Amino acid sequence: MALDEIAPVETLRSRAAIPRNLAAHLFTLIFLAAWEAGAYIAPPYLLPSPIMVAWRLWHFVTSWRDLFHLGASLLHVAVAITVSFFIGALLALLPYYVPVLRFTIERRLGPFLNAFSAIGWTLLAIMWFGVTPLTVIFAISAVLVPFALVNMSAGLAAIDRDIIEMATSFTRRRARIFALVIVPSLYPFIFATLRIMFGVAWKVTLTAELFGGNSGLGYMINMARQEFDTATIFAAIVLIIAFVHGMDRYVLGPFQTRVSRHYAG
Amino acid sequence: MPAKETSAGSAIAGRAIGEGFVLLALFAWWTLARNLPEFILPGPAAVGRRLVELFVMPEFFWQVFASTWRVVVSIAAALLIGAALAFLAEGVPSLASVVDQRIRPVLNSFPSIGWAILAAIWFNPGDFGVIFVETAILIPFCLINIAEGLRNIDRELMEMGESFTRHRLRILWRLTLPMLVPYGLAAIRIAYGVAWKIALVAELLGAPDGLGYLMLRSETAADSTTFLATCFAIVFIFIVGERLVIAPLERRFAPR
Repeated sequence: MALDEIAPVETLRSRAAIPRNLAAHLFTLIFLAAWEAGAYIAPPYLLPSPIMVAWRLWHFVTSWRDLFHLGASLLHVAVAITVSFFIGALLALLPYYVPVLRFTIERRLGPFLNAFSAIGWTLLAIMWFGVTPLTVIFAISAVLVPFALVNMSAGLAAIDRDIIEMATSFTRRRARIFALVIVPSLYPFIFATLRIMFGVAWKVTLTAELFGGNSGLGYMINMARQEFDTATIFAAIVLIIAFVHGMDRYVLGPFQTRVSRHYAG
Repeated sequence: MPAKETSAGSAIAGRAIGEGFVLLALFAWWTLARNLPEFILPGPAAVGRRLVELFVMPEFFWQVFASTWRVVVSIAAALLIGAALAFLAEGVPSLASVVDQRIRPVLNSFPSIGWAILAAIWFNPGDFGVIFVETAILIPFCLINIAEGLRNIDRELMEMGESFTRHRLRILWRLTLPMLVPYGLAAIRIAYGVAWKIALVAELLGAPDGLGYLMLRSETAADSTTFLATCFAIVFIFIVGERLVIAPLERRFAPR
């Protein structure tokens, strides 16, 4: 009886799947057509046509100089995520092992780091370190630390007390418990944190590079802006959207689902 | 009983360490600033004085006000547009893929400085450009939260509502919207944080006033005192807004 009721819905859904994707593709086409029409009316420094942007994108992936800037941005993001993840995780572990520091970290340091604006860190870093990669990495890391702190604290709070108790009954060595019980039970949170940090890092990186970098996509965008080379700006934006979305959808997302299924049970 | 007393004792110790940490940080800042020129690191006293001026002197207060009202308007606009997109995807199934596979990923991965530069190219410097950029940055956060809320709506409750009335507006007003309130509040909380921390970049490129503009101006003039005071003003406004507006709202609408 119940099966009879479910079955038609299933077929309906699979039949509806084709027109659904069709709507998305149609939307893309309409969007591109509207863009082309807009570019036809507006001058190219205001709105370059999609063909111009595609052409620039092709130049981008075949030019070593442009790829170098992409590589520089990737390096900034990777270093900043690594640094800020370790700082954030350390700050989260501190109140876990030394409870008396909980107020300091969660009520004083955390809110301060959380409320300090990204532009503030960037411009501050420029004053301190000048226009260097260090400025960019410092600014991104400073923005990312509170994200790591909040997420890792949530992970530590979610650890099953009974499992810790069981582990304590097996060994008295805290380093062993940390490596064999606490870190593995944090895995789902670690990957969720890294995924969030990856998304936020890209939002901030370009800003930091634009004001305080001498390499990277943000720097490239800034140069293009001064030369009214809007096609390059569009190409860089398209490239970033494709890269960020692709990584999130096809690498980090599936990886995270796999890890959480494996460890969270 | 004794356990409670030790926890109260350790709470006091924790609090003392926390405030001590703040004092220590201020002291470290003060010692560091004494040996450094003012344009690299001004002392805490000078920054504190400027911070007070920011909220008292009319010429600075106007900058604070300009940024604040833009943030508020942008959050409202982003919430409306995000909710409209989420409702569109939920209400018109054939458009769901357009929102889920096209609009949301693109808005979500769009670099914030990209919006700021495009607005600087497209619009004259002013309120509209800044609000456009901030809204564009905030929409994905609102869209994701409201869509999550719509997905988690209790179907049974909706069915019950439909058995009472055929009036769809009435169901929307009495059932759907109240059930969405927690998600809307989460969206507002996240958007509020992102607005002050990231979306302020809009004021660096396309604004004749506001805190972002003030920051950039004082940075180019090597006026570190004003710059740091502006940073702390943002921290201050952020925390005050969260304590006085967002936290009470959440308490008011907390699920009972």
